[in-house]
Amino acid sequence: GCCAAAWLLNPLPMAVSSRGNAEALVALLVLATLYWVETGSVGKAAVCYGLAVHMKIYPLTYALPIALRLRTRPRRGEGALRAGGNKAAKFTFMARLWHLFVKMLNRDVLLFGTLAGSVLAALTLAFYHLYGWEFLEHAYLYHLTRRDIRHNFSPYFYMLYLTAESKWSFALGLAAFLPQVLLLLVVSIAFYRDLAFSCFLHTTIFVTFNKVCTSQYFVWYLCLLPLVMPSIKMSWRRGVLLLFLWFIGQGLWLAPAYFLEFKGYNTFLFIWLAGLLFLLINSLIIVQIISHYQKEGQVAKKLKQR
Amino acid sequence: CVTLDVQAACQDTTVTQELLKEGFHRDLLVKVELGEDAGGCAVAARMHLPPGIYVDPYELATLQQHNLTKAVLIPDVIDVEAPEYLARDLLLLLFLEPDTRRSRCFRAAVPVHARYHRPAEGTEEALVILESPEVLLCCCHRHLSAECWEPAEVDAPCSSDSTGPCQWHSTKHRPAYEESMLRVPVGLREHSSLVCALTLLTTGLCSGLILAAACKYGHFS
Repeated sequence: GCCAAAWLLNPLPMAVSSRGNAEALVALLVLATLYWVETGSVGKAAVCYGLAVHMKIYPLTYALPIALRLRTRPRRGEGALRAGGNKAAKFTFMARLWHLFVKMLNRDVLLFGTLAGSVLAALTLAFYHLYGWEFLEHAYLYHLTRRDIRHNFSPYFYMLYLTAESKWSFALGLAAFLPQVLLLLVVSIAFYRDLAFSCFLHTTIFVTFNKVCTSQYFVWYLCLLPLVMPSIKMSWRRGVLLLFLWFIGQGLWLAPAYFLEFKGYNTFLFIWLAGLLFLLINSLIIVQIISHYQKEGQVAKKLKQR
Repeated sequence: CVTLDVQAACQDTTVTQELLKEGFHRDLLVKVELGEDAGGCAVAARMHLPPGIYVDPYELATLQQHNLTKAVLIPDVIDVEAPEYLARDLLLLLFLEPDTRRSRCFRAAVPVHARYHRPAEGTEEALVILESPEVLLCCCHRHLSAECWEPAEVDAPCSSDSTGPCQWHSTKHRPAYEESMLRVPVGLREHSSLVCALTLLTTGLCSGLILAAACKYGHFS
C-alpha cells in the first residue's frame, strides 16, 4: 500500500505525464508483463511485452532477465536437474556462462520470444500499412541516426558535444556504450531470480549510463520501485538521505542548465560537473540498493541455516 | 528633383526587428511603419533565418490555432534537434497585425530558438546574424503606386477570403536596415581533453563500483 504511494503520489511522474508523455501507459504494460511472467501466464506476458516494445523501445532490454527467469522457473521433473546443477560450481566461469545461455532455450522462452516477436511484427506491419515509411523512420530508424548533443543529465553530454565532429567521435561513443552493456549483462545474470528487482536495476543502470538522459526517463524505473521496495531492508533515515541526495543532484544540474538555456550564460563546465556528480550519486544509490537487497526467501534460508 | 521626391516617399517604409528575452529561446518582434495607408492590404514581413536559429513548427501551429500569430514557414518540416552546422536556412513569412494605437504601423512577434553551435576556441560565444526583413503587401482591391512597389513572388497564399485577383508586392527601394545579432554560448575546445579524460574516468569508477556490488551480493550459481 504505502509502497504504491512511491509511484502514485510521486510528483515526478505527475509532472512528466502532464507534459504529454504516455510513459504511464508503457509502465502499465511493463508491470503487466512482469506480473504475467511471475504468475506463469507466458502467453499473456508475451503479448504485453510485444505491445510495450512497440510503444517504447527501452523494454527490449528486459528480454535477457525475462528469458533467464523463464528458464529457471521450477517445473515438474526438473528438480533432479537442479540438484545436479551444483556440480556446475566445479566448472570454469566461462563454461558456466555458456551453460547458462545454451540452457536458456526452453519451451517457455521460445514461446515468449515467438509470441512477443509476432505481436511486435504484426503491429509494425499494421502501422506501416497505415502510415508508410514515415512510421518506420520515426519509430525505429530515427534512433539509429539521432545525434542530440544538447545539454541533458547524461555525464557524457559535454564530451560528446565537444567531440561531435572529431575523428574520436565514434570511438568515444563506443567507450560510452561499453560500461552500460557490461553492467546490464552482469546485473541480469546476478539478479534474474527476482524479476522485478532485476528489471529495476536494469532500467536504472540503462538510464544512468545512457548517452542521453532526461527527466522522463526516470519514470521508467520509478514505476518498478514499489515492487522492489519491500525487498530492500534499509533504515528510513538512509532511504530519505539517498532520496534527498538524488534530488540535490538534479537541482545542482538544473541551476546552471537554466542559466544556460534561459539567460544565455556560458555554464557548460558547471553543467558537465553537475552531470558527473549526478552519476556518482546515482551509482551510490544503486550500490546501496544492491547491498541492502534481501529477498524473503533468502531470509528464511538464513534462519534455517542457524 | 522628381526622382528624389519619389525616393523620399518610398523610403518612409521603415522596418525594425527586435529580439526579446534572453538565452536560447527568444521572441522576434517585427515592426513596420508604412509610408502610406495600407488600405485593406495585408502586411507581411519575409525573413531569411540562418541555420543558427529556427522556429518550432508545432509551437507555431499552436499559436495559429489560438489566433496569436499567423506565419508560414518554408520548409515546414524542421529537425529541431540538429546543431547549427547540420541545419538548413529557413524562410519565414510573418503576417503583421495593425497597431491599434498608431495608424500605418504594423507588428507581430514569433518565438524563435537558437541551435547549438560548434564548440569554439578562444571565444565563449557564437553570433547569429539576422538580416532585416523584407516588407510585403498583399493587395486585392487596391492598386499600389508603381514607383514604390513592385510585384513579388511569394510561396504563400495572399488572403483566404479574397474574391478578386490578389497580388503580393515588395518595396522597390529597400529601406536602410540594421542587422540583429543573437549571441549563443558555445563549448570551449580547450576543455576537450580534460572533459574526455575525467568523464571516462568517472564512468569507469562508477561502473566498477556497481560491478563490485553486483558480484558481491548477486547470485551466480
